[in-house]
Amino acid sequence: MPKIITCFKWVIDQADIKSEPGSNRLILDRVDYKISDYDRNAIEEAVRLQEVYGGSVAALTIGTPAARKSLKDALARGPEQAYFVHDASFNDLEPAQTASLLARALDSQIDYDLIICGEGSGDLYAQQVGPRLAENLNLPCITQARKLTIQENQVIAERKVEEGIEVVAAPMPCLVTVLPEINTPRIPGLKDTLAASKKPVTEISLQDLGQYYEPCLKTIDLQATTMERKCEKFDPADGLNKLAQALVKAAAIS
Amino acid sequence: MAGVWILGENHEQTLELLNGGRKLADQLDTKLVALFRGVQELAPEYIDYGADEVLVLPPIAPEQPFSSYVPIIVEEARQEDPDIFLVAATTRGKEIAARIAARLNTGLGSECTGLILDPDSGKLHMKRMMFGGAAVQKVVCTTRPQMATIPLHTFEPTARLEGRTGQVRELAAPPASAVSIIERKPREKESSNITEARVLVCVGRGLQKEADLELARELAEALGGEIACTRPIAEELHWLPEESYIGLSGQHVKPDLYIGIGISGQIQHTVGIRDAKVICAVNRDEKAAIFQISDYGITGDLYEVIPRLTAELKKVLQK
Repeated sequence: MPKIITCFKWVIDQADIKSEPGSNRLILDRVDYKISDYDRNAIEEAVRLQEVYGGSVAALTIGTPAARKSLKDALARGPEQAYFVHDASFNDLEPAQTASLLARALDSQIDYDLIICGEGSGDLYAQQVGPRLAENLNLPCITQARKLTIQENQVIAERKVEEGIEVVAAPMPCLVTVLPEINTPRIPGLKDTLAASKKPVTEISLQDLGQYYEPCLKTIDLQATTMERKCEKFDPADGLNKLAQALVKAAAIS
Repeated sequence: MAGVWILGENHEQTLELLNGGRKLADQLDTKLVALFRGVQELAPEYIDYGADEVLVLPPIAPEQPFSSYVPIIVEEARQEDPDIFLVAATTRGKEIAARIAARLNTGLGSECTGLILDPDSGKLHMKRMMFGGAAVQKVVCTTRPQMATIPLHTFEPTARLEGRTGQVRELAAPPASAVSIIERKPREKESSNITEARVLVCVGRGLQKEADLELARELAEALGGEIACTRPIAEELHWLPEESYIGLSGQHVKPDLYIGIGISGQIQHTVGIRDAKVICAVNRDEKAAIFQISDYGITGDLYEVIPRLTAELKKVLQK
């Protein structure tokens, strides 16, 4: 009966990211946040494994107190409890800090057999926290899994690598990062959302952790990428011939 | 001690990283060290390709994963204290780099496409994508070694030089890893090569069923192009092979013409078509993000528009 922990990150919804017209300055002050898409697959996989093998699922996240909003959404997706590591200083954590702080929280407060993370986060997509966390906790690590099963005390994973698939086995406790193709996350219903508000949340403060980690990586510049395009529209009723001519000419197709 | 270290999984990646690493080593006036996995007799070749030293990773049992080397690479890095460590950004490379960085308590720039050594600080300025490609982030590692993973083809492969000398040394065998490989399933080779195509017709979730790919195929044929798709079409629906998907974690393409059909234009996809010469989109939602990054667009039902567009293109091309 595995105790499963699923980690998720509360990230800026990319659909809200705008840049200042005519410049590369990002406008990030009117954005919404959401559970990173990749982590929805991680949560789903944890819940799916529990449905098959039993055991328990807890969700774990780290962020500023504002990330509290994420807990209800995460719990509505199936985990029976959540751990919320928070501090006002946790707003721009780089992957080494995130992994060190999560490792500290797991080591000191949380029981686990299997940790499931998304393949990367929706904002940084550094793909580091999973394997770093495994290393910090001295756990066997499997990245980029597209299928997971549990056999006795082992996790068996199909892992996507450049030349194809590697089927690998690791004894629990271990950590796995999963690909979006591993499952289709369920969409919480009203009942799930109502049930979520009654599920327990354990809060872990920086003081509880007893240690802060300095960043190893500093962001020195951040700019919007811009694509200047013509943005010409053609009428579907009578513009197709003109469009065909424009395409052939602009792309020099013969 | 110092040096620039590189680690690729195969010959091609090693030659590319040797090229990028050589420039940095020259600028820092230090040695270039290649970590190499393979037959020891082949190691001296990399001296000819620009390495000053080759550290040979000893053979391991076939069921042992590449990541088994983490402890011995960490141990060597502790002894030698390299300035910079570049790792090829493959699935295994990204895992290994993150784990080595964790052990060494150092920062790692993920999938960096630009590396510039800042002349004032001597620090590496690393450029990478963020927010799914909506932003470019520049990072600096404040700890040692400064680590980065490097996507394939970021550097040209290095050329062979004559008369170079250097050292070759084999590292001690690593301890057995707790993770073991049970089976390897090679990927079936697919014929399509969308990175070479001049014209790409790309389909997204707006397509209702697999049979409708025929519409896209006819359009691609009329233009002498290939078919491509978004990530869910390949990975979730499996309508097209995985080599066919364009985007952040898939292919990056630069055709003369890209036609997107039923594609909303999420940044994770469009980051892969940034270098297309002409972008055209057909989508029935006039607010679809794809129109903001298109040269030409049509708001309409693809099932109605595409067959007619194909016919018009055939007329213009006199086919």
